[in-house]
Amino acid sequence: MSAFDRYLHAVLVRATHEAHEDGSATTDAHHLLLSLAADQGSTAQRVLAAAGLDRAAVRAALDREFEHSLSVVGVSAAAYDLPRPSRGDRQPKLGASARLALERSFATARKKDLRSSHLLLGVLEAQVGTVPRALALAGIDRAELADRVRQALDSPDQ
Amino acid sequence: MSGAENPLPHDPADALAAVAALRRLADQLEDAAVEQAMRAGWSWPQVSEALGVTRQAVHKKHAKRLIAAGVQLRRRGNERV
Repeated sequence: MSAFDRYLHAVLVRATHEAHEDGSATTDAHHLLLSLAADQGSTAQRVLAAAGLDRAAVRAALDREFEHSLSVVGVSAAAYDLPRPSRGDRQPKLGASARLALERSFATARKKDLRSSHLLLGVLEAQVGTVPRALALAGIDRAELADRVRQALDSPDQ
Repeated sequence: MSGAENPLPHDPADALAAVAALRRLADQLEDAAVEQAMRAGWSWPQVSEALGVTRQAVHKKHAKRLIAAGVQLRRRGNERV
């Protein structure tokens, strides 16, 4: 098992945990982003943090996207005051958006060259969906952020 | 230009995102509402009929979670068939 395999495994475990906490049946691309933002010490996490995106900021951006997308059809999640449901032990499955993000990541480099930054790039390259909408609402320039990730990849300490 | 003023969003991205968000909200509501009903003593057939899905579907989706949470579930014998 390579260092990257171990890193990928840890990212997926954390993303699955985020999905479970969300009560989501699937681990989605935005759960990968939460996981990448929470990882301490990786290049992906450093680039995100430099853009003001620690885990809490990503969570806030996602919550805002959720509220905003609902408001477009006149719905407010805050209008429902049901108790927080108990979470079961069922493990979320890898969802379509997370699968696409991983495929994009793996397409950017040879397997032995894969780094945390490639995972982040795979998530950031989605043109549509929850992640780009959340980042746009948070005032983040996604293309510029992706450029910074690529610059970090090219720097010698990688 | 706000889509909130119009019941039908003009931007397809907004409309599609609303669908995705509504599904997530519906899932969250279902988890909370089914748990609330079962804690209030509803039976699986009642909950499934109220949701408009089969008893098998609602049982498969929620039983393990509610048992793990210690919710007292109504026995099979008490249910309407």
